[in-house]
Amino acid sequence: MATALSLGPAQAAPVKTEHVQAELVPERTALVPGRPITLALRLKMAEGWHTYWRNPGDSGLPTTITWKLPDGMGVGAIQWPAPHALPTGPLVNYGYENEVLLLTGLTVPPDAVVGSTLKLAARADWLVCKDVCIPEGADLDVTLPVAERSDPYPQWGSAIAAARLAIPTPLQGWQVAARGDGARVALTLTPPEGVADPGVMQFFPNDEGRIEPSGKQLQKRDGTGTYVLTLPAATQLAPDFKRVAGVVTASKGFTEQGEQVAAMTVDVPLVGLVTAGAKTSLTPAPGADLSPQAGADAVSQVSFAAAILLAFLGGLILNLMPCVFPVLSLKALHLAEGHEDARVQRLQGIAFAAGVIATFLALAGLLLILRATGEQLGWGFQLQSPPMVVGLAVLFFALGLNLSGVFEFTSLVPSAAAGWTAKNPYVDSLLSGVLAVVIASPCTAPFMGAALGFALSQSAIVALSVFVALGLGMALPYALLAWFPAWRRVLPRPGAWMERLKQLLAFPLYATVAWLIWVLGAQMDNDAVVRLLVTLVIVAFGLWSWRLYRGGTGRSWAAASAVALVCAGVVVWPLVHGNDSEAPGPVASVPTGPWQSFTATTVSDLRNAGHPVFVDFTAAWCVTCQVNKRMVLNSPQIRDAFASHGVELVRADWTRRDPVITRALAALGRQGVPVYVLYRPGREPLMLPEILKKRTVLDALATLGPVQTVTLN
Amino acid sequence: MFLRACSTFVALALSFAAASAWAAAAPDFTLNDSAGKPVRLSDFRGKYVVLEWTNPECPFVRKHYTSGNMQELQKEWGARDVVWLAVNSTNQSRSEYKTPQQMGEWMRAKGAAPEATLVDATSATGRAYGAKTTPQMFVIGPDGGMLYNGAIDDRRSSNPADAKVANNYVRAALTEALAGKPVSVAGTTPYGCSVKY
Repeated sequence: MATALSLGPAQAAPVKTEHVQAELVPERTALVPGRPITLALRLKMAEGWHTYWRNPGDSGLPTTITWKLPDGMGVGAIQWPAPHALPTGPLVNYGYENEVLLLTGLTVPPDAVVGSTLKLAARADWLVCKDVCIPEGADLDVTLPVAERSDPYPQWGSAIAAARLAIPTPLQGWQVAARGDGARVALTLTPPEGVADPGVMQFFPNDEGRIEPSGKQLQKRDGTGTYVLTLPAATQLAPDFKRVAGVVTASKGFTEQGEQVAAMTVDVPLVGLVTAGAKTSLTPAPGADLSPQAGADAVSQVSFAAAILLAFLGGLILNLMPCVFPVLSLKALHLAEGHEDARVQRLQGIAFAAGVIATFLALAGLLLILRATGEQLGWGFQLQSPPMVVGLAVLFFALGLNLSGVFEFTSLVPSAAAGWTAKNPYVDSLLSGVLAVVIASPCTAPFMGAALGFALSQSAIVALSVFVALGLGMALPYALLAWFPAWRRVLPRPGAWMERLKQLLAFPLYATVAWLIWVLGAQMDNDAVVRLLVTLVIVAFGLWSWRLYRGGTGRSWAAASAVALVCAGVVVWPLVHGNDSEAPGPVASVPTGPWQSFTATTVSDLRNAGHPVFVDFTAAWCVTCQVNKRMVLNSPQIRDAFASHGVELVRADWTRRDPVITRALAALGRQGVPVYVLYRPGREPLMLPEILKKRTVLDALATLGPVQTVTLN
Repeated sequence: MFLRACSTFVALALSFAAASAWAAAAPDFTLNDSAGKPVRLSDFRGKYVVLEWTNPECPFVRKHYTSGNMQELQKEWGARDVVWLAVNSTNQSRSEYKTPQQMGEWMRAKGAAPEATLVDATSATGRAYGAKTTPQMFVIGPDGGMLYNGAIDDRRSSNPADAKVANNYVRAALTEALAGKPVSVAGTTPYGCSVKY
C-alpha cells in the first residue's frame, strides 16, 4: 500500500497573474478507478480585488473553467460557494474577495490503469476587479497517479473537504415558496420547529434578470414564524423567469443537524405575476441603508404633501409650546411697543424667519450627514446626549432667570457688542430666530419626533423640505405680526402688566428645566442630577453677582461672578465631557414590572415561543410616550388585559442612543418614538397610533382572539 | 382631516402623472462634448438616438473597439441619420476619469464615429439612466421614448473575437424600429465593468 502512495501527485506550480494566484488543487492524493474526485480551482486575489460568482450581479463576469481531461473522465459543473455582496458605488456585485476554492467533481473511468499517471488540465478565465477590471486567465494542470486507494491530499485535502461541506444545499425541513407581486417577489421561508433565528438573510439569484442586485431586500417574520424576504424584481426582467433559484445566506447562519451552515439553496416555482422593477435612478438616499431588515408592510405611508402640511402645522403649534411661548410672546409684545418704524420691523420679521429656517436646516443637515457617515441616529438625537440635555437645562434656567428679572441680557453682553446689535437690528432678529429653534428643540423631539423621524427616512430633499415647512410654520406668526402693523392691534396694549406677565412666563421655562433634569436622571444617575442642580445654583449666583457689578456696585462682584461661573463649569464638566451616553444607564435600562427590556433577540425569541408580544418604543424625553405610559399602558385595566391575553411585554427605551433600537425602529419604517407594535402569532404585526387610548389597545388585543384562561399557580 | 385627505390626493395624482410620464421617456440631459460644447438630448427630438455608456479603461469596452465592432455600428447607423452619443459617466473623483480632451483623443485614435462623445464628470446622467455597466446601450425613439435598454449583445465576454459572432441587440432594435416595427427585445441585463460612480 505504502508503495502505491509514494507515487506522489505532481502538481504544477501556481500561475501568478498580475492580481491573482491560480492553481488546480486535488482533494485526494490519487485517482481511484471508478471513483469520483474533487478538484478545486484556487484563486487567491490580491488585497481589495474580487472575482465573480455564477451571477456576477450588476456588472462583472463569472469565472469559467474549460477542462482538458483524459478520455473517459466525467466532469461536473462548478460548485459555487455562497457569494458575498460587494457594493461598488450604487451598484452591487456578487463575488469573492481574498481567496476562493471553486470545486468541480470529476469521475475516474473504471478502466483507468492502476500504476499509470493522468494529467488533468483546465483553462480558467476570470475577471478580476477592484476600481478597474482585468480579464485574466491561466492554463493549469495537475498530474495524479492512478491507485487502488487514495488519501486526503496533504496540503489541500481538508480545505477542499471543508469547502465542499460549505457549498450551499437545500436545508431539511425548510418550506420555501415564491410569489410574484407586481415589481416584487415574496420569498417565504418556513423553518422547521425549534430552529434558531438565522438573523438577517439575503437572497442571491442564480441567474441575471430576476432580482435587482442593488435593490433593497426586506425581511420580516410573520406570527407563524415564517420569514418573508421581499425581493425587488430586476429592472430588465428575463423572459424565462419561471422559478426562483438561488442562495440564501444568513448573518447568524443556519443550523442543520446541529451543524452551523452559512447558506442554503432554494429553487421553487414562481407563482403570481412579476413585472419589471421601476427603473432605478441610482441616487444614493442618505440613511436608506440603515437596516436590511425592515417590514415593508409596516412602513407608514405619508405622502410628501401631507408631510409638508403636517410639518407646517406643527411649526405653528410650536409657538404655543412651553419652551418657546414665553420667549416668542415677549418678542411679539416688544413689536407692539412700536419702537422701530414699519419698514425696519418688516425686515426684522424676515430676518427672524430666515434665522429659524436656517437653523432647522442646519440641524436636519447635521443629522443627515451624521447618518450618512453611519451613525445610528433618529430625530430626538439632540436629547439622547447628556451634554446636550445639560446645556439646554442651563440655557433654559438662564432664560428663566432673565424673565424673573434676576439679570438683563443687555447687561450681560459687553457694551461694544450690545451697541453693535442695536445698530444691526436684523442681525439681532436673525439670532433671535436661531435661539428660538434652539429653545424649541427639546419640544420638537418629544412632541413631533415620530413625524420628523419619518421625514428623515425619505430622500435628503424631502427631509429638508419638511424641515423648511416646519421652520416656516414656526416663524410665520411673528413674521406676520412684524409685516402687518395693523394686526398688532389685536395684541393687548403695552403697560405695566407686561412686567408681571414676563415674570409669570419664567415658570414654564423652570418647568422645562425640571423636565430636562428628569431626563438627565433617566440617562445617567442621581449623581448627575445633583451635579446639574448644583451647577444651576451657582449659575444663578453668578448671573446675580454680575448684575450687581454691571449696576456699578463694585469690582469684587465681577470677580465673584467670574469665580462662580468657573465653579459651575468645574462641577458640570464631568457630565459634559463624560461618556457620551453609550454606557448602559442605570435607570433607563432597568425593566419595570412585567416589562422586559429590549435586545436584538428578545422579540424574536418570544415570538418563536409562540407568544403574542407588545413592544413599547419609548424615551424619557418623549412627552407623548410618558403620557401614554402613565395614562394607558400602566393603567390596571390595560395591565389586566395584557395579562389575560398572555401578551409578553417588551420595552425598548431609546432615552440614550441605542443602535439596536434605532435599527429596530427603521425596520418598522420609523425613525422616532413613540411606536407601539403588537406582534400576533400567525398574523402580521399591528402598529398602534402614536397617541394611545385604552380603547385602541383593548381593540388591538381583541384581535388576538378570546381571552385565554389564566392559570394562577 | 379634510385638508390632509385633500393634500394626499393631490400628491398621489401628481406622482402618478410624473411616474407615467417618466416610465416611458428617456431623461433629458445637457452634457459637454469632448470639445467643451454643450449637447442636449432633447435637441435631437424627431431622430432616433443611441446612447452608448463607455469607459476606455474597461476591457469590455475595449473588446468592442479593438474588434472594430462599435465603430462599425456607429458608422452604419450614423449613415441612416441615427444620432449616436457616447457617454462616459466615470466620476471625476475616480482614477479612471478621462478629461474631455483625453476622451476625444481616444475616440479619434480608435477611428470612432459617434455624433458626440459626452463627459458626465458628476455621473448625474449615468445615475438618472440607471446605467450599470460599460458598455450599456440605450435606444431612444424620435418621441423621446425608450426603445431599448441593456447589453450590446448576447456574448457576455471580454474576448474581442466574440463581438463579430454575437447577436447584436442594438442593431436588432434599430433595424426593427426604423422599419416601423415594435422592438421585440426591449431590455436585457447589461454586462461589463461597473460604471465608476
